[in-house]
Amino acid sequence: MVEREPIIRIQNVSKSFGRVRALRNVSLDIYPREVVVIIGPSGSGKSTLLRCINRLESYEQGDIWVDGIHLSHKATDINKVRAEVGMVFQQFNLFPNLTAIENVMLAQRVVRKRPYAECERIAREQLEKVGIPEKADVYTAKLSGGQQQRVAIARALAMNPKIMLFDEPTSALDPEMIKEVLDVMLNLAKEGMTMAVVTHEMGFARAAADRVVFMDKGEKLEETTPSDLFTNPSHERLKLFLSKIL
Amino acid sequence: MASDVHPQTGGETRRWLDIRPLARNLVQRQSWFIAFILLDLLIIRAIQTDPILIETWDYIQIGISVTIQITIVAFLLAIVIGIITAFGRISKNIIIYNVSTLYVELFRGLPLLVIILIFAFVVTPGVVDWISGSDSTGQATGLPFLDDFIQRLIGIPEEDVATTALRSRDIDPLWRIMFAFALTYGAFMSEVFRAGIESIGRGQMEAARSLGMTYFQAMRYVILPQAIRNVLPALANNFVFLLKDTSLASVVAVSEISYLTRQYSSNRFRYPEGLLVLSFIYANLTIILSMGAYYLETRLHADRRES
Ligand SMILES: Nc1ncnc2c1ncn2[C@@H]1O[C@H](COP(=O)(O)OP(=O)(O)O)[C@@H](O)[C@H]1O
Ligand SMILES: [Mg+2]
Repeated sequence: MVEREPIIRIQNVSKSFGRVRALRNVSLDIYPREVVVIIGPSGSGKSTLLRCINRLESYEQGDIWVDGIHLSHKATDINKVRAEVGMVFQQFNLFPNLTAIENVMLAQRVVRKRPYAECERIAREQLEKVGIPEKADVYTAKLSGGQQQRVAIARALAMNPKIMLFDEPTSALDPEMIKEVLDVMLNLAKEGMTMAVVTHEMGFARAAADRVVFMDKGEKLEETTPSDLFTNPSHERLKLFLSKIL
Repeated sequence: MASDVHPQTGGETRRWLDIRPLARNLVQRQSWFIAFILLDLLIIRAIQTDPILIETWDYIQIGISVTIQITIVAFLLAIVIGIITAFGRISKNIIIYNVSTLYVELFRGLPLLVIILIFAFVVTPGVVDWISGSDSTGQATGLPFLDDFIQRLIGIPEEDVATTALRSRDIDPLWRIMFAFALTYGAFMSEVFRAGIESIGRGQMEAARSLGMTYFQAMRYVILPQAIRNVLPALANNFVFLLKDTSLASVVAVSEISYLTRQYSSNRFRYPEGLLVLSFIYANLTIILSMGAYYLETRLHADRRES
């Protein structure tokens, strides 16, 4: 299943916010069609790691390649990279002045320069795929949290990204809405999307993850398969963390 | 929407016929407006019938187009200046930041009247001298191309353009003070736009950038539309203030309504009549403006409207 060339290669990346060391020498390879789940306590650098992959954060040391493009290079057009890397945020970050379908169409038009009719067709397809085609013309503030997050996923997917990053996509949701979002993500994983997912939903990790990465205090402490994670967690801090969230 | 109507609430038709809430709202919230309209009608009638007021109106009314012209042109210029300066004020480039901050502080710090006088009597002659060359012997030494261009623009006869130099008295007082208004209100409005841009959460910019938009695309398609919508009430306020401030143009003999009123009233010694007509015009212009702004605002807030 796993191909040889990683589509994301993170090598010895370090990042500080002032005196806070958010990432310490983190390395991680993600292969095409792989689902990697990243877990760890709050403040351990999970978001920062994801945000370095599409350069929403810069990093001081180390190298990252995305689909063969070296992010550390000055000449790299980061917007090209970002168009291939979809991101889903904890707080959805939908554009509130636009309807659901306009949210899904905007970047297609502005970045991909697709003709209007094509944008609309693709947007409808994506809304269909995440299960809310009937909400196309509704402004996002009128949607439930789960629906908003699904629009956000559709918005990212409409760009036909090669990679999807999820930063705690269900953490801001009421419990009854978590499943509808996880189901969309599970389907995506089944279709073979390459995904890096920060989440504490262990059910999702068990069902979809090829590998689980445990981070603590900016370090990657453990990288293992989901089954090994629960049966023999090697690290003390990982055991402690698992005992808290399970 | 029909499908949203709960069957339990039933009395759709009864609510339709009941005009009491509407009447109550009209009396409690709109009485001022009704009073205003009545007063307005009274004055309109007087202006149409009273011979002195007819004469007063005819004299002053000529200036309405000038007042509106200054207001609209200066406001549009101020919006452009304000948005550009707002970007300067949030810029990380220290030169751009400091230059735009200096401009804002200066123009906010000086009284508009003083700025108008400076533009009419210092800046305009200075710029004209610079363009035409200060010796004014006829053959331009400064910027001959610009000199001829402006002369054509302000309607100097074509055969004279090449031989004469631009003189500051050729420049209409209206244009002497247009930039005083535009720059002053540009400074005010840059603060409005800056606050508007900063009121949009960081997540919006991040979402736009994560989709591959450039900084400017994100600003243009995501941040600014929301920011402008948020600052619309403040913009409308500025527009009304600007409209009223155009009365200051009268000090440099721009024939807008305040200037004409002063001229007319002192010549004929008819202050009550002149000021009545003047107030009538300003009050109606500002009320119409406020209503237009309100309409625009509700239209732009389509997503917050009850559906
Ligand atoms: N923009 C920022 N400014 C300053 N410190 C930050 C910023 N973002 C994150 N941090 C700090 O970096 C560390 C890692 O944060 P983050 O990657 O968000 O952790 P996680 O997502 O695992 O909760 C934390 O100590 C956090 O306080
Ligand atoms: Mg986080």
